[in-house]
Amino acid sequence: MPPDQTKDQTNLLQGTLDMMILKSLALDQMHGLGISRRIEQLTKGTFQVKPGSLFPALHRMEEEGWLTSSWGDSENNRRAKYYRLTKAGRRQLDSETRRWGRISLAIARALEAS
Amino acid sequence: MSTLSRLTSFLKNIFAKQRTDRDLDDEVRSYADLLAQEKIRAGANPEEARRTAQLELGGIEQIKENVREARAGAWLDSLLQDSRYGARMLRKNPGFAAIAILTLALGIGANAAIFTMTNGLMLRTLPVRDPGRLVELLHQYPGEPAFNGFSWDAYQTISDGNRVFSDLIVDSLNVIAVRADKLKPQTVFVGQVGGTFFQALGVRPAAGRLIGPEDVHMGDHSPVAVISWSFWKSRFNLDPGIIGEKIVVGDAPLTIIGVTQRGFYGISEHARQDVWWPISLGPSSGMWYGLLGRLKPGVSMEQARAEMAVLFQAAIDRPDVDPFVRRMKLRIEPAGDGVTTPLSQMLSTPLTVLMATVGLLMLLACANLAGLLLARGASRQHEMAVRACLGAPRARLLRQTLTESLLLSLVGCVVGIFVAYVAAHALIRVFASGRFVMIAPVHFEALTKPDAHVLLFTIAIALFTGLLCGAVPAMSASNTAPAFALQQASRIGESKSRRLFGKGLVASQVALSLVLMSSAALFVEYLSHLRNLNLGFERHNLLLVTLDFAHSGYNAAQFSQLSQELVMRLDAIPGVSSATFSAVSPMEGPGAGSFAFAEDHPEKQTQASINYVAPDYFETYGTPFLAGRDFSARDQDGSHVAIINETIARDCFGNENPIGRHITLNHITMTKGEKTFEVIGVVGDAKYNDLQQVAPPTIYADLLQQGYTGSEHSQLAIRTKIDPDGVASAARQIEGAVLKDVPIVRIMTMNEQIDSSIVPQRLIAMLSAAFGALGALLAAIGLYGLLAFTVARRTHEIGVRMALGATRSDVMRMVLRDALWTVCAGLALGTPLVFWARSVFASLIRDLPAKSPVSVVFGGAVIIALGLVAAYIPAHRAMRVDPMVALRHE
Repeated sequence: MPPDQTKDQTNLLQGTLDMMILKSLALDQMHGLGISRRIEQLTKGTFQVKPGSLFPALHRMEEEGWLTSSWGDSENNRRAKYYRLTKAGRRQLDSETRRWGRISLAIARALEAS
Repeated sequence: MSTLSRLTSFLKNIFAKQRTDRDLDDEVRSYADLLAQEKIRAGANPEEARRTAQLELGGIEQIKENVREARAGAWLDSLLQDSRYGARMLRKNPGFAAIAILTLALGIGANAAIFTMTNGLMLRTLPVRDPGRLVELLHQYPGEPAFNGFSWDAYQTISDGNRVFSDLIVDSLNVIAVRADKLKPQTVFVGQVGGTFFQALGVRPAAGRLIGPEDVHMGDHSPVAVISWSFWKSRFNLDPGIIGEKIVVGDAPLTIIGVTQRGFYGISEHARQDVWWPISLGPSSGMWYGLLGRLKPGVSMEQARAEMAVLFQAAIDRPDVDPFVRRMKLRIEPAGDGVTTPLSQMLSTPLTVLMATVGLLMLLACANLAGLLLARGASRQHEMAVRACLGAPRARLLRQTLTESLLLSLVGCVVGIFVAYVAAHALIRVFASGRFVMIAPVHFEALTKPDAHVLLFTIAIALFTGLLCGAVPAMSASNTAPAFALQQASRIGESKSRRLFGKGLVASQVALSLVLMSSAALFVEYLSHLRNLNLGFERHNLLLVTLDFAHSGYNAAQFSQLSQELVMRLDAIPGVSSATFSAVSPMEGPGAGSFAFAEDHPEKQTQASINYVAPDYFETYGTPFLAGRDFSARDQDGSHVAIINETIARDCFGNENPIGRHITLNHITMTKGEKTFEVIGVVGDAKYNDLQQVAPPTIYADLLQQGYTGSEHSQLAIRTKIDPDGVASAARQIEGAVLKDVPIVRIMTMNEQIDSSIVPQRLIAMLSAAFGALGALLAAIGLYGLLAFTVARRTHEIGVRMALGATRSDVMRMVLRDALWTVCAGLALGTPLVFWARSVFASLIRDLPAKSPVSVVFGGAVIIALGLVAAYIPAHRAMRVDPMVALRHE
């Protein structure tokens, strides 16, 4: 991956990527690829998360205590590492959602004003 | 919660690293696998699917690296990695590592050793309550060391008249023999203390109770004693039955009533007290009161000094006070770090000089290390360039190089601590031969005990050195433009600025070691000057025996008879020229003093020292007679006679002949009343107290005539024809036979006694010689390193020159010229520093031969010689370069 693009994307997505990951795990546990696909699905293809950004984020969030992981079997009996939200993770998701709501409202208002 | 979680992860990342890594590896591979599966389900063939999946993944190692960087504890991980790498690099170059570590160890060790002593002697605070407010009172006669001891009258005056002290603490520090049932007779430091001593210092008992006001009365005291915790542990094994045990201090039988808290050792760091007993108040003769004061809250040192000065002046100006006493000054000094003792006064200047010298040595070691690292950095340009191309950020390269130099300095630090330990103990052995020490068991372990402060200091220097020395090479290493370095850089040679900087470092090393060497030469010159001073007597082949008559019970007649018999039998030993007795021997220490004036001229009073001597004294010591005769048996029953030295003859009698005239002494120390003597002889001046002080005006009285019965340290001197040590055992035997109740305190030669009075000077000379040699060695190593490296880098260039017609000697001359220029630059830089250093030393030490050019010339000559030696091998190697090989060399 060309160096510049990674940096831009990382800066942009650091906070939002966390939120996306939390959201995608809200209903069910999933492995890395699954999370990636779910985010694509949720954002209707706008965000395509590459593994180079996904893995660091997943591990970081696990260290923060928002996710926990375990090894399991995937759909076609391949071994995969599954992630799910912890209670702290759910709380984080809630507070991030509310914060994001406030920010986007504020920006929307600012843009409407002349 | 998340902090706890992060902490757990941090620990897991450090300690279960391999498992975590494997786990990550599995995870990434499983992602690739699932991706491939996805594509196969979408219709691609298995081969195609796996390949595309790999491409999309983008590189397993890269992803793993990204994860590692994001992990908690990533910084520690890369630090460990850097350290491991650095260690590996150093192992590959053991020669370089050894020299660097040795350089550092010597520099750090020397600094730590001197700092340990400075810390122990001058910086550690007493383990008492609020040591910052503690002060001590001292009196000082001009030219003498200050002394904390006051008479009863003085104590009363100060105690009644002051408003600045909330507590006036009395402690007489003494050395006394103690005995007990469970104890071998031994000599320890003892304190005779007032009732408020322990209270005011905030000391609590570890057992029993401590001495209080109820134990101290006028003219008397309770027969109780308190011992220190360490005494209780080492001599009594913490026996709980210690309270009530009997102990004899000197001649006084006492009962132990308590033990002080652990860690309290009295009021001096190195004269640690083990036993305390109550003082008896009152004007009994011979009792000296040591005084400590605690400043009242809000009172400053200046205020205290001012008030005391006024009080003191009033006391001294009274008409019944001796003129001798009027010359005394009162001093108040902070006592938080222990009371002033002759030891601390004697050592403070030398220690300061040594700290400065050793700091210089450290700078030298740093310059050396920096040069070595720089040279090495240049040879690793290629490696750095490759790493930069592989994606290492500049900060990482910087950190890597710094880690290496920090690693070197930390290993150097550990080795340096050992060096410091050994050095401090060696120093202590020199101290222990000093004359003040021989009468008391000074706790030198206190001075050499490592301390948290010392450790911190050592580590701080090590880190500072590592960072300082590593900084420049690190900067230049990370600055390399990779493309440039990846070319055959050696063909072009190194950059001009780097070469200049390297040379600059070596030149500064040369300058510093010039200062060290010529200072060393200066101090050694000074010491030999001291040792060869004309002292007014013959110092060689003179044996001194100190005898303790205190418990012999002889009266004057017995002493007279026995001493004459002893002298006669000693004279009979072949190898002995003559023997004699005296109260005091030269260089032993201060003796009795008085004021003297000639008959009819009481206004021409002069301060005089008195020595009581036996017949043959002057012959034994080799002090020449200038007029008149020696004491003899005829004088015993006549009027009092005395022999005076040149200075008194001049002061009291001017140009007139003093023989047959009379001289009167008033206020002889410790006795009252005047004494008049007839002068029967004049002798040459002899130095008594100090090598450097002018010989004092001295009066010699006849020992036997004055009814001398011996003291605790009477001096028997034996002039020998052979080496004095050969006579010692015979002398011991005879003494034991004649003087059965008189133990020999010590036997030493006059030269040894003189040496014991100049311990600081010997110390400075010895150490600065060691540092000078070290400094020169370091500079030589630095020069060698620079030249060796330069020749290696310029091999190609040398090959070209030789191919173009240069001869081997041309090449050698090129290298030597390089070396010589650097050395001369260093000498030019260093010479003004040398003169500046001399003027500083001359202000600290009297009589330093600071004008003599010998030491500067010596220093310069040694350095040039070393420079040539250091240049020899690289020059030789340059000469042997084969042009054909060199031209192909990369």
